Amino acid sequence: MSGLIPLTMREIKKWYRNPIFFVVGLLQPLFWIALFGSAFDITRAVPQYSFYILQGAPDYITFIIGGIATTTALFTGMFAGMNIIWDRRLGPLSRFLASPIRRSSIVMSKVLGATVRIMVQVLILFVAALLLPSGLILPKGFNIIDVFIIALTVLLIGILFASLFSAIAIRITRQETIMGIVNLVNLPLMFASYALFPKNLMAPWIGDIAQYNPVSWSAVIIRTLVINGKLSGAQWSTVLNNLIYLISTTILVVLITIILAEKEIRN
Amino acid sequence: MYSVETFNLTKFYSNGIKAVDKINLQINEGEIYGLLGPNGAGKTTTIKMLTTALKPTEGTAKVAGFDIIKESMMVRRNVGIVPQDLTADEDLTGIENLLMVSRFYNVPYGRAKESIDRLVKLVDLKDAINKPVGQYSGGMRRRLELIMGLVHNPKVLFLDEPTLGLDVQTRSLMWEYIRNIQQLQNITIILTSHYLEEVDALSNRLSIINKGKIVVTGTPEELKKSIGGDIVMLTFKYGKEALQAADILKSYKASRITELTIKIKSSDFSKDSQIILSILKQSNLEPIRIQVEKPSLDTVFLEYVGRSLPEEEGDSDSRKMMLMMRRLRR
Repeated sequence: MSGLIPLTMREIKKWYRNPIFFVVGLLQPLFWIALFGSAFDITRAVPQYSFYILQGAPDYITFIIGGIATTTALFTGMFAGMNIIWDRRLGPLSRFLASPIRRSSIVMSKVLGATVRIMVQVLILFVAALLLPSGLILPKGFNIIDVFIIALTVLLIGILFASLFSAIAIRITRQETIMGIVNLVNLPLMFASYALFPKNLMAPWIGDIAQYNPVSWSAVIIRTLVINGKLSGAQWSTVLNNLIYLISTTILVVLITIILAEKEIRN
Repeated sequence: MYSVETFNLTKFYSNGIKAVDKINLQINEGEIYGLLGPNGAGKTTTIKMLTTALKPTEGTAKVAGFDIIKESMMVRRNVGIVPQDLTADEDLTGIENLLMVSRFYNVPYGRAKESIDRLVKLVDLKDAINKPVGQYSGGMRRRLELIMGLVHNPKVLFLDEPTLGLDVQTRSLMWEYIRNIQQLQNITIILTSHYLEEVDALSNRLSIINKGKIVVTGTPEELKKSIGGDIVMLTFKYGKEALQAADILKSYKASRITELTIKIKSSDFSKDSQIILSILKQSNLEPIRIQVEKPSLDTVFLEYVGRSLPEEEGDSDSRKMMLMMRRLRR
């Protein structure tokens, strides 16, 4: 895997050296929290039910931050795929393919680069949400283990989406094609999930579908942790179940991506 | 042992096009070897197979002693490539690009730095090496591409159209760099080009490729000698005149190359012209234009491929797109 580290370094350099790309990437989660988190507060119409709707969260932003973190991962992950197509269009890919490096390290460097971006964005998102008036309110028992599990979840969902979109991009040569595919899958991934709404507000059929959506798993893990801090036995099993789904799906998607990259990537 | 040897190397594309058809090449160590041919002749496909970017349909080749199919990783380790595309990352500096590539080959940092310093001096890029590649001129980018293929001290260097789209001055400068590299590194260089002067100026030996087949191989001098005299082109006003003239001048190996133009061969046209013109006059034929070509690679090419190389390279759609996107990104 001699190419993985230099190629990942390249991705990260390209990110922080491009000022617009860098700033936009940091502003995007802030917009989410400021606009979606405030404007779409679903409890405003029925404040007496807010505790029930928000599953015990003190306010809407605390409820939705797991969903926003996950959506941020989704949107940044799709750039991993776009960057493969740029490299193909602009020429660097032909140099990489001619080098004695594993084909998969070309693709996995995009995945790792995107994951680093996602981690930084989510960190900023949490800091901003904490600073915002009536923003994120952490419970009393919130501790370092919760932080660790949240970080792990963001890492996994980042790798999962970046791999997914990279795998899609391996055989695609046109920007338009991947844009179309991304638009097609993003909408159902985002809205057929528990990221933005609780299950009990959804039509039953979509609520059933949403339980198989990785976006739901990640959102539910983070939500359970930031609402409750110290978890009860039932809450622990929710978190661990979702974590197991997430870990196994991520491993599966990464393996598929590596195999596809080794076999199928070409200029 | 040959530095590069191919054994009936063949590539058919899925649409049935025979891009490369049973090519056998033997290239000596330390040689600059030219592959000359019109666009679509199969030069780039040959290079892509020899550098393991494409798998041959049939046949195989040995590059630097390794089989391109069974030992592709070892081949990649031992060859350097300067592809037609510009491959440097525009957001990184020249030195960052070079260091990244040397890490692909596991060259330790100290040694990489040393050989990069030497190469940068060799192609006069010292002043620009810490600037982002996006700010380079076309000539500077080509020079960077040239040394990006050399950071790991390869045994064989493939240059695919190294001066495509460069002005005349920059081109001759590139030739000098290529010669210097060959002398300093004692490396085998395989060069594809459709610029005849380029192959003439650089290569020790060359093969002319047309429609996926090797037409002829030799040193530039041998090939020029093999023509055996001047090539004369006679243009007439009407197609039927050209047809008639071709018939009359059969003893001069006349052949029609366009509707109005025939090509004849003459050991020395300054002596033969009187006779040829008088023969034509007897049949009331008078060429409106006479063009004499002294033996050059151009006439060699004309002789073996049948038509002159086009002056402009035809940009393929994807290439146009690529160039356009590059502009868009600025």
